[in-house]
Amino acid sequence: MELQILWVALVTYVLAGSLSIIGFVMQRKPERAILALLVLGVVLHTTAIALRWERMGHGPYITMFEALSSGIWNLLLIYTLVYWRIPAIRATAAIIMPILFLMMGWMMMFTPSEVGHKPQVYHTIWLYIHIGFAKVFISTVFIAVGISGIILSRRTEYGAMRFAHLPNDSRLDDLSFRFMAVAMIFQTLMLITGAIWAQDAWGRYWDWDPLETWAFITWLFVIFSLHLRHTYKTKPHTGALLVIGVFIMAFLVFFGVPFVSTDFHQGVGRS
Amino acid sequence: MILSKIPTSGSNIPPLGIPSPGLPTPSSNVALRILRALASLKLTLVLIILLLAGVLIIYYTHTRFVWALAVPFIGFAINLAATVLTNPVFRRQMALLIFHLALIAIAVLIALDWLTYLKGRIEIVEGETFTGQTMSEESGPLHNRRLGKLQLTNENFTVNYTNTDGRLRRTDTRNQVAWVAPDGRSGRSVIGDQEPLLLGGYRFYTTTNKGFAPIFSWRPADGSAEKIGAVHLPSFPRDYLQQKNEWKPPGSSTSVWILLQMEEEIFSRDKPSELRVPDKHKIVVRLNAPQGDNDQRWELKPGDSVPLPDGVLTYQELRKWMGYDVSYNFTLPWLLAASVLAVLSMAWHFWRKFSARPWNPSSGNPNSGNTNAENPGPEHFQQAAADTTADEPGK
Repeated sequence: MELQILWVALVTYVLAGSLSIIGFVMQRKPERAILALLVLGVVLHTTAIALRWERMGHGPYITMFEALSSGIWNLLLIYTLVYWRIPAIRATAAIIMPILFLMMGWMMMFTPSEVGHKPQVYHTIWLYIHIGFAKVFISTVFIAVGISGIILSRRTEYGAMRFAHLPNDSRLDDLSFRFMAVAMIFQTLMLITGAIWAQDAWGRYWDWDPLETWAFITWLFVIFSLHLRHTYKTKPHTGALLVIGVFIMAFLVFFGVPFVSTDFHQGVGRS
Repeated sequence: MILSKIPTSGSNIPPLGIPSPGLPTPSSNVALRILRALASLKLTLVLIILLLAGVLIIYYTHTRFVWALAVPFIGFAINLAATVLTNPVFRRQMALLIFHLALIAIAVLIALDWLTYLKGRIEIVEGETFTGQTMSEESGPLHNRRLGKLQLTNENFTVNYTNTDGRLRRTDTRNQVAWVAPDGRSGRSVIGDQEPLLLGGYRFYTTTNKGFAPIFSWRPADGSAEKIGAVHLPSFPRDYLQQKNEWKPPGSSTSVWILLQMEEEIFSRDKPSELRVPDKHKIVVRLNAPQGDNDQRWELKPGDSVPLPDGVLTYQELRKWMGYDVSYNFTLPWLLAASVLAVLSMAWHFWRKFSARPWNPSSGNPNSGNTNAENPGPEHFQQAAADTTADEPGK
């Protein structure tokens, strides 16, 4: 049942994304329709995740299918909230949604396994706090990526024409800086709560496992990019490139780890 | 350090910790210039790159190369302290001041942690008492070792398993321990999974490393007192097929090879089960390694003895052992408090900074797009000026 609801949610997202791309090409602004579709998609997706959680007895963090599903969900939940509250970023849907289409396609390559074991180290409230902060972090970076995409695409004649109605690059740069600053706060909280969880679960708050080390390197990269932008007052397109660099790194860390480890953290599945 | 600007011109407000320049002397000017140079945001960038390099070195070389992290951390501490001393903006912006002080505290606490930490591994057989001897440990140069002043007895433990998706999965671990603290207090606790035992500043965590241990008594041929001891077999069920070990009885020159042969399944294939000592088992004892020329082999049940060249070895019973991680980090709660303080003050700072101007920038005019990316118009300059001076005194 929840799978059917999930597929309907994905179709709704695809409709919202397609509408945003059509709006971009045709120079129309069907923003209300896109917002309505996004809200509907998120509601359906939330329902699908809740039903699966109830049925499986664990949250969407055991299998790659679940991790990608919840990843898409949190990106769209926060994006929809921001889309609603900050009209200036609405044009980013034409850039953001195609990235999400790729994630949806990736998710559909995995079979939604009917079995799953919740490791003992996941039986702690810190898991939810840690993952929650991580999701807000990646979502805010994602929004900054959309804004950066506009800044970069405006360097082309086509992009400049299509996005001419938006605030100027320096204002968009300021906005992307804000989202990155918020992302940095949540990423820091993610690292702190991850250390608390690791201390409880493995008796050490830091042990240089691949995920924690690369998460820390990503954090340093975020700090570095914010500092660089502030210290040298970089041009908007430089800031945009830095944001995209951070996103690629964070995305690889979040979703690339399963390619090198069967567990999200080394040692989770030890017997 | 972060998002604060070092004033390049003179200020009416004297820097923290620097005497008011009533009659500035050349030496105080030099000191101030040095401090300002040390407070540079560009230096911060260099230090971030150094820390990044240090992290990569440690990660890829798998070594605890302390200087790779110590150098950037010491640099950060100096950079931060210089920033706090020379930047008057901190007296107006409490959030920034708290953030930087918290960062300094974190740097100091990490240094203290490196100097005083202890990290070790121990294994205790059920019924045995740990009295300070670790299997392996590392510690900081200033660690005041008090492990020998406490006692920890592994009374018994349970590890439960379930069979999911064709794989044996560990669920919960419960370990009952009795303890005596360095100050003489004693008690019993149940630890396991996310619950460590805190004893005399040390934290004892159960681990996934556990297994079986045959208990032997050894009666030397020279008539000296009989000794009882345990031989720890490799971790179970991880090393299910490697339940063997080689060791020498105390005071003996004879190398004994032993193997645990289980004659029953420990874990059920279709229902939850528990790690337990097998009822049906035997201990295979060999003199010399199995490939040796003078191979002698015995199969022992509890109570059986083996005559060896320099004594008699008697197999008594099979028990379980539990592996523990023991650690000492007295800075841990302080590190957590400083980290939380740093992130909250940073959030406070950004909140003030961002709420001063709307999140919804007004839509630009038709000329405000690509055209001003490289060549900003007046509006951009006004905005940039506001950004640059946001943290300046008097703004």
